[in-house]
Amino acid sequence: MANKVAQETISDRAQPKLATLIWLCVAAWMVPGLGHMLLGKKWRALILFSAIVIMFLMGIAMQGELFSTGTDSYLQTLGFFGEMCVGLAMPVARFFGYAGGNPLFVSADYGTAYLVAAGMLNALTVLDTYDIAMGRKP
Amino acid sequence: MVLAHFPAMLFFSFLVSVVFGVLGKNTLRERIVYGAWVFVAFVGVALALGWMMYPVP
Repeated sequence: MANKVAQETISDRAQPKLATLIWLCVAAWMVPGLGHMLLGKKWRALILFSAIVIMFLMGIAMQGELFSTGTDSYLQTLGFFGEMCVGLAMPVARFFGYAGGNPLFVSADYGTAYLVAAGMLNALTVLDTYDIAMGRKP
Repeated sequence: MVLAHFPAMLFFSFLVSVVFGVLGKNTLRERIVYGAWVFVAFVGVALALGWMMYPVP
């Protein structure tokens, strides 16, 4: 009963404009948690930002590999798109001199996994922002 | 930063569990329970797979 009432309350909300949705999703992609912050979910935004940025920074600290598209390997191309999902963090890391990791470093494999996972988690965050904006989630 | 496999796996599981918990459920209690369950599942499955692969050369 309570779920039904909550569902009706959610679906009664006005649908946002397309431009607003696109802006929210781009913001959520660029900075982890920013989409939630703009929607007024401050604690959720803070937790998501902290978890994803910590994961990315640990990946950098463990010399994880930053993939590029200039290879014949489909897996590396997928890895590039996975890491791109983390938003501005990747170009910022490159700006501060991170050259893409050292594959011979002892923790490099874990570092790469951390970097790709940070991107994938941010992709989920973008989808969650979209759902909240559409009124599908509280 | 050099982390051994087990702490690296624990940190990874913890951070992913936090995000899954926040995104996957709607109330605080549900989030904590779900996040803890995902964390235990991550670590448990990793340990089980590790033991299963132990005899493999």
